[in-house]
Amino acid sequence: MPATPIHSKPKSWLWGTLTSIRLTVFLLLILAAVAVIGTVVPQNQPLNQYVRRFGEVWGELLWRGGFTRVYFSLWFLGPISLLAVNILACVVHGLPRAVKRALKPLTVEAALTLPERGRVTWPAGVDPQPLVSATLSRELGHCRQETFQDQEIYFLERGRCRPVGPYLIHVALLLILAGGLIGKFWGVDGRLAIDQGEAAGAFQVGPRVEKPLNFQVRLDKFQVSFYEPGGSPKEFRSDLTFIKDGREISRATCRVNAPVSFGGLTFYQSSYGSQATGPVRLRVQQGDLSQTVELPYRRPVDLAGGEGKVWLMQVDGNHQGYGPAVLIAFQAGSDHPMAFWIFQNRPGLAKSPYHPGLVKQPGVYSFTVESIPFGYFSVFQVKRDPGVGWVYAGFLLFLPGLYLAFFRPVERWALVLAQTPQGKWQGRLLGASPRRREEFAARQERLLMELQRGIPS
Amino acid sequence: MISQIFGAIMLIYLLVAILFLMAELWSSSRLKGLARIMLWLGLGMHTGALLGRWWESYRLALGHSPGAAWADKLQLIIIQVPLSNFYESLIFFAWCLPALGLLAFRRYLQGYLGALVALLSTLLLAYASLGGVDSNIKPLMPALKSNWLLIHVMTAFLGYAAFALAFGTAILYLLQERRPRPSLPPLPLLDSLIYRTTVLGFLLLTLGIATGAVWAETAWGRYWSWDPKETWSLITWFIYAALLHARHLKGWHGRRIAWLAVLGFMAVLFTYFGVSFLLTGLHSYLT
Ligand code: HEM
Repeated sequence: MPATPIHSKPKSWLWGTLTSIRLTVFLLLILAAVAVIGTVVPQNQPLNQYVRRFGEVWGELLWRGGFTRVYFSLWFLGPISLLAVNILACVVHGLPRAVKRALKPLTVEAALTLPERGRVTWPAGVDPQPLVSATLSRELGHCRQETFQDQEIYFLERGRCRPVGPYLIHVALLLILAGGLIGKFWGVDGRLAIDQGEAAGAFQVGPRVEKPLNFQVRLDKFQVSFYEPGGSPKEFRSDLTFIKDGREISRATCRVNAPVSFGGLTFYQSSYGSQATGPVRLRVQQGDLSQTVELPYRRPVDLAGGEGKVWLMQVDGNHQGYGPAVLIAFQAGSDHPMAFWIFQNRPGLAKSPYHPGLVKQPGVYSFTVESIPFGYFSVFQVKRDPGVGWVYAGFLLFLPGLYLAFFRPVERWALVLAQTPQGKWQGRLLGASPRRREEFAARQERLLMELQRGIPS
Repeated sequence: MISQIFGAIMLIYLLVAILFLMAELWSSSRLKGLARIMLWLGLGMHTGALLGRWWESYRLALGHSPGAAWADKLQLIIIQVPLSNFYESLIFFAWCLPALGLLAFRRYLQGYLGALVALLSTLLLAYASLGGVDSNIKPLMPALKSNWLLIHVMTAFLGYAAFALAFGTAILYLLQERRPRPSLPPLPLLDSLIYRTTVLGFLLLTLGIATGAVWAETAWGRYWSWDPKETWSLITWFIYAALLHARHLKGWHGRRIAWLAVLGFMAVLFTYFGVSFLLTGLHSYLT
């Protein structure tokens, strides 16, 4: 197939470049290269991570060159903006012609200029018109029929709208890019952490930057459940109440994959944790000696007997599905400290060898939990993105675009019937399908065969 | 139990590949017919085994939420589609190849082409069964509990499979071009089959990426996070878009298109395996 020139008129160098597919390929290559860097270099980490991983010189270079936030750097935004201009130029350049082409039905005159694909001659006295019209409508679908210069012409065209298809695809791409930009400039994206039982009136949009809400959200309850103890998590669930001017307006449950919207913002369950709300009480046994210690958060407490000290590192309301637990660090003398979990409701776990996590208790002591005052907190992604509609519109526009571009091949057929001076009918089959030669050829063969049926040879 | 059935299906596909080759070498239409029948049999068993695993994982899930109402049960059926871990993705991929092959190649699915498709499926099933991949059914983590799982993963893997077919055809094209063999399909046919499968793959991958974006938006509030898997699927998509442009606008055919199809499939492989094993991200649950 000859290359289809997309420029036919002479035009300026700039416009020629902007509408060229060469520029597209060039930009796509750059974008691909940058994207590869983005997947190999971990993104959005602090500088020291890169220095540790790639060394002083390279780490510094990656950081300064913008390769650690590459999708927001000029390396990426530059080519992608240019690609948007490139696509826009192509649309402006080609869409009007494609629409004009799609609006213009096949005329008899145009049909007669199609290349000839075969001939059929019927014996004198046979009127082939019933056979012809039945065969054509069976094999091709509804044909138009016109009489033109003493010839009977049956013709039809399929996929007239195909040329519009690629442009729908390109407009869809532009919509998606526009949606991305709109979200970037007019959207809001932040994080909100609420303690269970508390209400929040602002959320974080950057490091130490808060944005006020014009309402309040209260976390009534947070729950995490597991398929089975020691198994994988089943559900994270936050029960929320939205409060405006002191009045409770609505309640909602926010789960992963089931966000909640209120006041123009959407809340997505993103993570959770639990924290100590007071000192944890532990029972510590050493032989027959038993004592109770109160552990404030992260402050070392010496154990009676002087054999070591302990810290409270973490509390978890439902650790791996085994219920409330604390993470304790124990240090004997100047030994290396050791950390282990103690489960409140399952003291026996400390002795069982079959369970996940670190539970082996060190030293001469044996620990059990008396009480864990704890509270959950839940973390939400808070967002408003006016660009999402544009992106989705782009996705939807892809569908008719892809359908037209790939599944509606252009096909034109004409059957020209004329009578010879001897009174015989002769049919000439004309047609073309630039994109689907294979199917076209098969159909042509079958058509000619069908038309010849009933002709004694 | 069902895992053993997959082993049997693997042997059937292997047999199909051998039968197609023998039919071609001895030009025997009897063997060819037999190979086709065995292929349909393998595909039928494969479909049944997939449905069986689906049922089993639905039953297990039902055990975790007893007393579910009718609508919840329907939802459970949808989200328990066996497409949620690496093993399940492998056996679904292996199913897509003959299924799409029959759809896209029709009667050309025979001889070397048929053997190739059957062999690719055999390899995938062999990897799933013998490669030490965990075949246990696990309960779903919260992020995967979404109706979008079904359509997203199905379109993505059907797309990968269509590209695998384009790749296989491209390899045959390159072989045939280097040293013509009458037993291989003629070049123009291979060229048009590469194109047909690429178009199919492009459509499906587009759907896969778009539904993935919609899902990410409902799960995390971000339709695009530049997660490595997302990024690599986009790179893959660009390569195939380039192939289609090259063909339609520059009139590329034959060898150059075949090489692009090979390149594109390398990107598919990296998106599927490379990202899961070498890079980490949102999709790393696959490993
Ligand atoms: C990432 C960006 C792009 C994508 C994904 C894309 C996608 C597509 C697709 C799927 C088609 C249909 C192909 C076919 O008919 O086989 C197409 C056709 C086309 N594209 Fe693009 N395109 C992109 C960028 C561009 C750009 C920047 C230009 C302008 C230079 C362009 C010009 C065209 C033209 C002229 C056609 C063919 C129209 C026809 O067949 O009548 N494309 N594009």
